[in-house]
Amino acid sequence: MSTSDNDRIAYLSGEAVGSLTPHERAELDELRMLLETPATWEEPDTALEDSVVNAIVEEARNQPGGAAAPAVSDEARTRPARRRAPSLRSRFGRPAFAFALGAFAAATVAAVIVALAVGNKSATPLRFAMVVSGTPLAPAAHGSATLTKTTSGWRIELAATGLPHRANGRYYQAWLKNAAGILVPVGTFNDAEHVTLWSGVPVTQFRTLTVTQQQANGDPASSGRRVLVGTIRAAH
Amino acid sequence: MLEGELRRRFCHGDPDAVRSIYRSYGGLVYAVAYKVLGERGLAEEATQQAFLKAWRAAQSFDDRRELGPWLAAIARRVAIDLYRREALRAADPLDSVPSSEPSLISSPESAEAISDVWEVRRAVAQLPADEQEVIRLKHFDGMTHVDIAERLGVAVGTVKSRSFRAHKRLAALLGHLRE
Repeated sequence: MSTSDNDRIAYLSGEAVGSLTPHERAELDELRMLLETPATWEEPDTALEDSVVNAIVEEARNQPGGAAAPAVSDEARTRPARRRAPSLRSRFGRPAFAFALGAFAAATVAAVIVALAVGNKSATPLRFAMVVSGTPLAPAAHGSATLTKTTSGWRIELAATGLPHRANGRYYQAWLKNAAGILVPVGTFNDAEHVTLWSGVPVTQFRTLTVTQQQANGDPASSGRRVLVGTIRAAH
Repeated sequence: MLEGELRRRFCHGDPDAVRSIYRSYGGLVYAVAYKVLGERGLAEEATQQAFLKAWRAAQSFDDRRELGPWLAAIARRVAIDLYRREALRAADPLDSVPSSEPSLISSPESAEAISDVWEVRRAVAQLPADEQEVIRLKHFDGMTHVDIAERLGVAVGTVKSRSFRAHKRLAALLGHLRE
């Protein structure tokens, strides 16, 4: 292997390499972006397999002369993929991507809505609740958050344990993220045990709450060092 | 290539044949749909519709063609149709618009971008599990070698060598994307 090949591999893996041409960098940057995109890693709900099989079996049965046998229950057979009841889902349902099952799945993005109280619109504010889980950077962290619509915006009350106090220019920052990956900051804090955050964007669109470790170093962007993650899952 | 017997059973709606094809290609079809739609529920809906359309068209499928790209093309068309359907929901109150609302975000992904995701996902799936894990933690979770070593309970040097092997394999598997 030539030095140049090694340099390309090093750059692809995220190392700083000065010997590549701008064209080579651009090509490898595209590949890195593909490795970062959720579509490369997301897995469907494992129940989708039954939905697909049963949708086809059902249609085959309704064809003239069709007689394919149902694969599972009638209830499952008649349930369209998108109308399934929300459930706690693993992101890694298939064997090829099963490496991160178990502790990792329990400690990362796994988050589920625990209450969706729409209630009486005239008297009860729109309110969501979510479980937040620690990432590999903070596997012991966990907690919950309630998100309430007010006339000023969305009030987010976060209560989490397992995160150490941060001070002396080191702090936590909370963010809301939408499906396109756009981050909106919703507040900074030192302790996560009882925090009130405010959002000017609707949590119905920005459904993922993340908390990152930050440093007051003049860079306001997310450090990417996520320690807590939770996602609202809409009820259909 | 879709083997004759499996294809015949698939066309007949045989559950085992459908399941076999789903297990081979479901993740990739879902990746295509997710790339276009950016939301799990819609991507799952598109995946189901894509397999249904594939089943309806399977009688005319040319056995000499590769099944994967054919399914990817169907998935992309279905996903873009769903994308447009969602974009037409202009009368909904703002707070009821789903976070995935495509009209708020971007245009449909190009066929080339979708093909690239398909290729990358297939290449990652060919890596040994320990290398897949390092690649995922590095790129998707944004972790450093030190973070990964702590997470996996191995030496930083082990992570570096595993990372180098994984990226070398990926570079070889995906070299055609740079041409």
